[in-house]
Amino acid sequence: MRQAGTYSGLLSGGLSGRTGPHSLPLARIKKIMKKSGDDVKMISGEAPILFSKACELFIEELTQRSWMMTIQGKRRTLHKEDVASAVMATDILDFLVNLVSNSSHSMDNPVEVETIATSKS
Amino acid sequence: MEEEQDKLLPIANVGRIMKQILTPNAKISKEAKQTMQECATEFISFVTGEASDKCQKENRKTVNGDDICWALSSLGFDDYAEAIVRYLHKYREVERERSANQHKASGPEQENIEDSSHVSCQPQQQIEARKGIEFRILDKGNGSSFTNPS
Repeated sequence: MRQAGTYSGLLSGGLSGRTGPHSLPLARIKKIMKKSGDDVKMISGEAPILFSKACELFIEELTQRSWMMTIQGKRRTLHKEDVASAVMATDILDFLVNLVSNSSHSMDNPVEVETIATSKS
Repeated sequence: MEEEQDKLLPIANVGRIMKQILTPNAKISKEAKQTMQECATEFISFVTGEASDKCQKENRKTVNGDDICWALSSLGFDDYAEAIVRYLHKYREVERERSANQHKASGPEQENIEDSSHVSCQPQQQIEARKGIEFRILDKGNGSSFTNPS
């Protein structure tokens, strides 16, 4: 089980959006990590810090790839579909394929919604 | 719905990272930010799962930084792994120095690094002071970090 004090100092410190040099809140990252599986028991203090950096790289990369799709479509607004296209075009993003095609907020793509919604141009 | 948001990375942070990497005139739809939020969250779960499996196999209870680096590489994010390994070593170096300095000066926080795989209590002040570790890993002008075998 969790050791008292091992993580609390690192992660409790007023992470109300303010994360010091990290662009993503460490406590949230740790929560997501813990939720990822039952066998995730203990997490060292450095792991969320590394993920803060890794996620930043990930978001930057996926955003750039998505933007390339936007440009190809001669548009200036990055849409959900551009992210989906970028995922489809990249092998190592296979783990996201279901996520981008099952997305529940389908305002950009009314066709996916089962109930009749007002069509959006 | 609010509970759902708790399980994702905050959309404000995600949106900011997205905005910073694009040109100033680029616009991002709300749904695109939400999708990215979900993708990045899934990325954490995915990599953590892989790292956790390794720990289980090796009968270790704690997922540490090396496991994350290994998992990144194992899942195809080689370029990230490289950058993160450097980041990790730099981080540990800073931690060691900080720990060494603690013995000299009387700092308000006590910090013990028990072994290389555990990093103990680090109060928020220390995190904020550690701005020096922030260094550019990605050259923005460069192409992709994803290894995409054709």
